[in-house]
This record gives sequence, C-alpha cells and structure tokens, in this order.
Amino acid sequence: MTVTETVEEGMFQTENPIHELNRMLVRYDLTPNQAKVYLFLSKIGVKTASEISKALKIPRTETYHLLSTLQQKGVIFSVFGKPTKFNAVGLEESLEILVNNEKSRINELEAGKDSLIKLWNIIPKYGEEEQESQDNKFQSLQGRNSILVKLEQMIKESKENILVLGTEADFKRFYFTEFTELLNKTKSELRILTDHTPDTPHIFESVPPKKVKKIEDKNREDFCFIIKDDSEVIFFISNNKVKDMLAVWTDSQAFVTTLRSLFSLMWKKSHHINETDAESLLGSEITYEHRLREIEQEKMILNYLQENFKILETGGTKN
Amino acid sequence: MSKNNKQREETKSLEILIIDDNEQITKMLTTFLELKEHKCTIANDGKEGLSIIKENRHDVILLDLAMPEFDGYSVIQDLEENNMLKDHKIIVFTASTITQEELDELVKRGVTSYILKPIDIDVLHSKLIDTANL
Repeated sequence: MTVTETVEEGMFQTENPIHELNRMLVRYDLTPNQAKVYLFLSKIGVKTASEISKALKIPRTETYHLLSTLQQKGVIFSVFGKPTKFNAVGLEESLEILVNNEKSRINELEAGKDSLIKLWNIIPKYGEEEQESQDNKFQSLQGRNSILVKLEQMIKESKENILVLGTEADFKRFYFTEFTELLNKTKSELRILTDHTPDTPHIFESVPPKKVKKIEDKNREDFCFIIKDDSEVIFFISNNKVKDMLAVWTDSQAFVTTLRSLFSLMWKKSHHINETDAESLLGSEITYEHRLREIEQEKMILNYLQENFKILETGGTKN
Repeated sequence: MSKNNKQREETKSLEILIIDDNEQITKMLTTFLELKEHKCTIANDGKEGLSIIKENRHDVILLDLAMPEFDGYSVIQDLEENNMLKDHKIIVFTASTITQEELDELVKRGVTSYILKPIDIDVLHSKLIDTANL
C-alpha cells in the first residue's frame, strides 16, 4: 500500500476533521457520497473515476453518477484526456455556488407558489365544508431547519408573550439565524431563562437584561422549550446534535399550561443576569426602603382594622 | 364630623379594582373598603389586572407600580397603546422611590392621580372617593 493510498483511506475515518466537513456539506444539498467525492478530489487532486471508486470504496457506476451530478452542480470539473480525469473547484467558490443554487431554488419555489394556489383553487371541493378541528394538535419536528421554520413562525405571529427556557448551548445553535433576530425585535413580552455564563456575554447582548434570568438548577441540561402567547409550545426532545434535533410542537392547553406554570415558578426563583443574591432577595425593583414603606402601610391598615373591630366588639362608635 | 367627611360618608358604594402583588395589603385593604361598603376586586399581578380592566368597568383602580413579571408601568403602557388609559380612573399606589417628575409624567400620560405608601387609611379613602367623583 502506497503512502497516498493510506492517506486516502484514512481521510474518511470518523475522528478525521474531513468527516465533520463531510457532514457539514450535506447541509449544502450534497448527499453524503457526493460530499465524500468532492472532498476527496479537493484534497487529493486530479483523479479518474476508477481511482475515486477504488479509493472511496464506492461502486463504479455510482461513482460516475456522483461525478456527473457534482459537475452539474458546478463544484467539480473534468480534465480532458483518456481516461477522463476530475478535479474539484476550491471550497470557498464551491460553497458560494451551492448557496446560490439553493437561493435560485428558493426563488423558483417562491415564484411558483401563486400558480400552485391558483391551480388548487380551480379544483372544486368534493367533501362537505369541514370546520377546523378543535382537537389538540401535535406536530413532530425533526432536524434543525424544520424546527427553525416553526420557531420563526411562532415569533412572527406572537402578540402577547414569548417565554424561552434553554441552555446557552441551545441559543448558540440558533445564534446566526433569523430566530435570534426576531427574538430581539419582538414586540411581545419576552422572557428568557438560561444557564448564562460570563464567558459568552454576546449571546444576550441585544436583549434587555431585565428580560433574561439565570437558572441555578444544574440538573436540567437538555430541558428546552419555547411558549408563545400561552397557546403554543415547542418542546425539545433531543437537542444534543444539530442533525438529530427533535422537537414537538403542540397547542394542547394542558401541555402549555403545565410548562407555563413551570416557567413562572422557575422565573420567580431565578435571578437576573449580573444580579447579586442580596439584590435578588429584595427584588431588582424593590429596595429595602420600598419594603419598609409597604410594611408601614400594612401596619396602618391593620391598626385601623383592629381599632374598628374592638369598637364593634364593645358596641361603641369611632370618633 | 366635618361637612366634607359627612359628604364622603354618604357617597355611593364604589367598584374598586386593586392591582397589587402584596397580598397582605390587598386583603386588609379589601376588608377596610368593604367595611366602608365598597365592592373590591383584587388582582395580584399586572397581567391579571389588565385583563380585568379590559373586561369590567370600575369606578376607580388602585395600581401598584413595582410588581414582579408584569408591573404597573406595563399595565399603563398597554392601556396607553390601546388608547384606553384615559377611559379609566387610575390611582398609582406605590412604595417605590419615584421622583415628582416621574409622577407628573404619569399623570400627563393619562393616570388620574397617585398615592405614595404609606398613607393614612382615611386619607386614602377620601382620595378614592374624590377620584371616583371626578
């Protein structure tokens, strides 16, 4: 076995960063094998289909098909000769091409939306007019994108409040997305409960400190949910890895109310970010003087009531 | 009994909404006001108070400013945004350290009046009647 062959074989072992790159390229609409071929050509250089097939242990017919698709996508090119050899476009340029391909596809979908709706409306409805179901709805959301779309929809539609409970790691997963931006801009009352650490102050820098509290409970690592207007909730079942993210959306009132109560309890128990224990004890808005005035007020009412009840008991009248 | 006080004692029973997170104060105040034959509704947080304001009419509303979660300022802001602030007789009832400028600003926005805790209970009663009769 030559040194090149050893390198080639080792490239796609699980621990290798190439493996991580491969996984990430799948998000740019490449299949795992397409990504594998592309990365192989990027790192090894010009190769024939046969050499690629052998090195990556992909059947030859599939390799030809993969190469043809990658050429159509514009991320590899063929070098004239016999047999035909292939090489990859640089990673940066390839990513640009793949992103633009996706953009064009989205534009096409957007443009086709109206025609599709028109066509749908032409077809008569055969069944009786159905009333919208009043039953509780549940929707399983798998993968970051489908969760993200639902989250964005919830925030855009929210009119009253958004309650978020999640770890900093959860927020990092959505940091560069429209979700974070919408959260910062929402006119609804926003409250965030998180395990904030001073190492990453930027995560909540655009959210007013009054709206973020730090959870002290260390035993809630994977616990994450978002409630909209006390009527809908997204509850994360698994959020350890972006690829395997799994969540459930529901408008079940029982479910929403339970999580809402839990959030309220935790909110009451938690401190605002940067707040000391003493400040928390007194409440951020409520000072020591404030509490004294309240006690004095309580005392004044109590005195009055005691005096009155004494008069009532003795049958007298108050002057 | 002075003429003014006599007049106040003869004033009709009022529907009063108390929005305050201090349960001791709301309970004792309700007992006091019910002794004076007024009818009280209690809300222990701003959100609940706001929903009661929107559903029912009250002769006067006593609103605490510093409450956890949804505070008195948020109640005022919400009513203001919905052009409802001036439709209600709201007395800000607070123990917070607040400047005269801030109180004047609240009145300018549409709050009817303000009371700083602690206040003599008879004076509070008079203020409620006066405000309701405005």
